[in-house]
Amino acid sequence: MDALSLIRGGEPTATPWRFRLDELAWRDLVEALRADPLPFCGLWCDGTDVHALFLVRDEPLAVTLALEDGRYPALSPARAASTLYERAIYDLYGAEAMWARDVRPLFDHEVWPCSSPLAARPGVSEARSGLAVFQPSERFATAAGAVDGWGPASGGVSPPLYVAFTQSRGLVGQAESQSGYAHRGMALRWRGSRVEDGCRLSGRVVAGQSVAHQSAFCMAVEQACGQTVGEQAGLARVALMEMERVLHHLYTLADMAGRAQAPLVAAHCMMLRETMLEQISPVTGSRLLMDCCRPGGVRLPEAERLGAVCESLAGIGQAAHPALLELWESFPGLVARLKGLGVTRAEDLARVGLEGLVARAAGQDCDTRRALALYEGLWRYTAGRQYGSAADRALLLLDEVAESLSQLARLAPRIGDAMPDREALSLPDAEGMAMVEGPWGRVAYWVRLQEGRLAQVFCHTPAAAALLLFEESVKDQPVEDLPLVACSLGVNAAALDG
Amino acid sequence: MRMIRAVLSVAFRQNMMAMKPAGRGAPLMLFHIETGGCGGCGMELRALASAPYDLGGAGFGLANTPAGADMLLVSGPLTRMMAPVLQAAWEAMPDPKGIICMGDCALDGGVFGENYATLGGLERRVTIDLRLPGCPPTPTDVLAGLASLLRGDVQDDLPPA
Ligand code: SF4
Repeated sequence: MDALSLIRGGEPTATPWRFRLDELAWRDLVEALRADPLPFCGLWCDGTDVHALFLVRDEPLAVTLALEDGRYPALSPARAASTLYERAIYDLYGAEAMWARDVRPLFDHEVWPCSSPLAARPGVSEARSGLAVFQPSERFATAAGAVDGWGPASGGVSPPLYVAFTQSRGLVGQAESQSGYAHRGMALRWRGSRVEDGCRLSGRVVAGQSVAHQSAFCMAVEQACGQTVGEQAGLARVALMEMERVLHHLYTLADMAGRAQAPLVAAHCMMLRETMLEQISPVTGSRLLMDCCRPGGVRLPEAERLGAVCESLAGIGQAAHPALLELWESFPGLVARLKGLGVTRAEDLARVGLEGLVARAAGQDCDTRRALALYEGLWRYTAGRQYGSAADRALLLLDEVAESLSQLARLAPRIGDAMPDREALSLPDAEGMAMVEGPWGRVAYWVRLQEGRLAQVFCHTPAAAALLLFEESVKDQPVEDLPLVACSLGVNAAALDG
Repeated sequence: MRMIRAVLSVAFRQNMMAMKPAGRGAPLMLFHIETGGCGGCGMELRALASAPYDLGGAGFGLANTPAGADMLLVSGPLTRMMAPVLQAAWEAMPDPKGIICMGDCALDGGVFGENYATLGGLERRVTIDLRLPGCPPTPTDVLAGLASLLRGDVQDDLPPA
């Protein structure tokens, strides 16, 4: 039987897209998944059950298994990306994934005052003091070459992550990361909070992607409520997501250019970003577009100016874009430095299940926007890059800036000066799930509401798969380019650690 | 053991030629540590360090190592994993030195508060020389705050002329 039939053959739950399996059927599912390409989106735990999320033609399909003696059969033998989720579940709930591919701690490096902090009965543990100890995999521990590392405090501005790597003749051999430095207990903070507070938290999972997170969160809450927002609020969210994409991509391009010794190009990207922010921030009230979405609608200090700002951004951006592209392509050494750097192989992309911009730059056709009704009449496939190097990713970032700007131009007359409506939500005991295309790829939220509050929240971002892909793609690359490869793949500890 | 040494030796890798500036006239060097937030404060710091802002012209620079810094610039809530990293950075900085907290998280934990993984902010733990509240504070706010340092608010703590 294929994976889909196994899942749908499970016991239906109150949530139409979620089915419950028993342990034997779950094991059959793991076996079936070894050969079945069903896209995997994430694995989470609520203390009683584990839930795995898959996608069928961009629609969610979840499967649930009750923990037995605190254990469940791992999905990692069939889905590599599950490794990080399984390690997180063990650290947070103490639930053990049997036959897991990797059982090293992900977040809990014995500096917390308790173990399994999210379990019904957290364990007692004595917090160690001092720097967290890096625990290599067996493969890494036996790899040849001198061991070096990067992070977690290198004076840069990125969230903290540690990457250990072996090197020989200036090239990276094996690379392995240690996360948890930015783990701030988001799942616990969400638990029991009001939906408005939960939304504020979701906007701070990872900066620069706040609209994507808050939109997906709000849409998941609204789905649980069986409600949708009005057309104007929906259009406003799309406009905000595309503004965020433009700002994010310019920031990322500047970061890449700066690390590739092209400070002039970096300065141009940041200047254009600031010019746009002058227009955007009075309307949104936040330069990082935080808290512009709220459950039931949007929150904009000058909502009536949103359409005008879309038009003005499109004008500013479209006027500046050709020169920026030309500068990028002609700046001495920039393209040459990025060409052939951090190339993502199709088999690695498939193995870790990474979608979004990184996959599109390797020729794959994947974009959540295609499936979203909100984007009807706006979305078109951004194609043309296919070799999967940092150079391709940079050029796709530039392509997508242009594409988002033309979407903003098309949105402007539809938004006009109308005030977006706000839905009053009545919060039932129910689950909801929604996804959007964030700047690096799919951002999905699953929420469970209970007694008018959030009982559980699970958030999927491309960060887990990006980290696994980074560890592969950085092999044989110059040691000094390690941060550049990480930044070109969207590696972000804040998104990963949660 | 080689792994532990690897972590210790690179946590504050001595790269480039960063040196503590000799005194007034040289830029005031800031070593930034993100102690576990969403990265928003870091993004605004990057914006401030880029065109069209002129962090260098205002008399500040970003240090690559704590040994080359005058002030520790902290953003994010202090996670338990980052606490010893922060401590080690502080100890690696030469005297006189000071602490700047950028953003609500660094001050009191912000939206993340205090829990099994985070200790909250630095406000009740150490003496803070400059508070930059906001979530995140804008580059203009940060620049104004930094400028107040040079105007003399904590001048006595800075390198002598
Ligand atoms: S203060 Fe706000 S922007 Fe800064 S790290 Fe904390 S949550 Fe992020």
